[in-house]
Amino acid sequence: MPDYDAIVVGAGNAGSAAAITMAQKGLSVLLVDRSDPPGAKNLSGGVLWGNDLARILPKWQSEAPLERFIQDKKIGFLTDKSSIIIDFKTKIFEENKVGYTVLRSKFDPWLAKKAREAGATVIPGITVESLAKKDGKIIGVEESGDIVTASVVILAEGINPRLCIEAGLRGPLQDWEVSVGVKEIIKLSPQKIEDRFNLSSSSGMASEYILGNLEELNVGAFFYTNKDSISLGIVAPMEQLRENGVTHTYDIIEQFKEHPSIAPLIDGGTVAEYGAHMIPEGGLEMVPKLYGDGYMIVGDSAGFGFSNGLVLQGMNYAFLSGILAGETAVEAKGKGDFSSDSLSMYRQKLENSYVLKDLKTFKDIRKVTNNKNMYTTYPKMLESILLEMLWERGQPKKKVRDILGSCAADLKMSKLKTATDFYYIYRRM
Amino acid sequence: MILDIKERLGKTKYDVDKSYAHITVDESICEKCPHHFCVMACPAQCYTLQDGKLSFQYEDCVECGTCSVACDQGSVKWHFPKAGKGVIYKYG
Repeated sequence: MPDYDAIVVGAGNAGSAAAITMAQKGLSVLLVDRSDPPGAKNLSGGVLWGNDLARILPKWQSEAPLERFIQDKKIGFLTDKSSIIIDFKTKIFEENKVGYTVLRSKFDPWLAKKAREAGATVIPGITVESLAKKDGKIIGVEESGDIVTASVVILAEGINPRLCIEAGLRGPLQDWEVSVGVKEIIKLSPQKIEDRFNLSSSSGMASEYILGNLEELNVGAFFYTNKDSISLGIVAPMEQLRENGVTHTYDIIEQFKEHPSIAPLIDGGTVAEYGAHMIPEGGLEMVPKLYGDGYMIVGDSAGFGFSNGLVLQGMNYAFLSGILAGETAVEAKGKGDFSSDSLSMYRQKLENSYVLKDLKTFKDIRKVTNNKNMYTTYPKMLESILLEMLWERGQPKKKVRDILGSCAADLKMSKLKTATDFYYIYRRM
Repeated sequence: MILDIKERLGKTKYDVDKSYAHITVDESICEKCPHHFCVMACPAQCYTLQDGKLSFQYEDCVECGTCSVACDQGSVKWHFPKAGKGVIYKYG
């Protein structure tokens, strides 16, 4: 008899969601995390879409340590001197509060506590050294020479899945599969945040930008309001960083902070924390085999995430994949069968959910996010058009068609190239 | 507001494991590396070049794993720190 029905490695969103799902259905669950308190190594941009959380924790909105609900969502481009922003503020977000800013060092321990309350054994501060195998099956985990066994091991290690790689369950990560995220927490009083961003004591703002001010690098940036701090950071694709070869990741975030439209927003604030984390960007192509005899892979470890340059999501995919793996384990326990065949239901459930549907729908999205024009030429083009249309310099006015033509010429883009490029992006976004 | 990287890292909390380096590099490989991309990629300035020679320290590592991808020469060996050691985010 194995020691547990299930062992979950990693108490992030995916791991804890899996543990809660299984414990609620009466499975014996061990949830281990290498940090103490659990989740203290975890870092995210910080907007959590919690629809799926309601499946296992219906009262999450009133119980979880959340920062501010997203009432105001901005997306836009920054050039050297300009910012071009769509500011979407809606009552709909206020009437259906599902998006919140969170700080993971507060949120993750709460989620792990919920796993404990559901009946899971939660042990933080344990670094699993390797996966225990027998006859080609994963049978448990190993730490300091001790083996703890389980019918199924759920791997929720995050984006740097050392156990999966060492056990050959997925290959080492490649440049095209990841971006480097760099983040700072800037302390600012609630009063300043609410005045500066026109917010109430509970509402918040989330912005995502394409940085058109960095030559030769397709970098995105984010800026979110917490209760009494700002989460801001940059996301730089590894492929581009390597190709560029001369830019330090830790300098890019400071360039973002120095931008004329960003600097005033954090004026008077103090840096409270600096951190970094990789982000899965490889889409469907980076998803490994998600299950086998005695194991399933969830969350970032499985490459689940969505990014199109202006929208960046991962925590929702973590919750849902964790829940679906948990449900699969519950069914496997019912059948008394934890073989690869039985656990293939996990893949089936993912196929039927937005997790794999999104990855399939947007399988070509990297061709958009890798398009250099998206990050340099088009933001500049947009800036030129707006300058022509919205500024008076004592010059004769031009039609939009002519403005576009001359902007394209200035930026050495033919009209045909611009048009086909737009169509290409439009087809894939 | 713009801070030097060392100053920024000073804001982050660690419980450094003085007896175990969770990342190791093979100096003989780094010596022949044509790009030293790790120096640019590492967000915590753990990799620096001094007189053309790569210097590495793990104490400021925030455990993002970037170097394990950045190094395509087989020099970087990346393991999780021992139980509870390493970076401890207060905000995350």
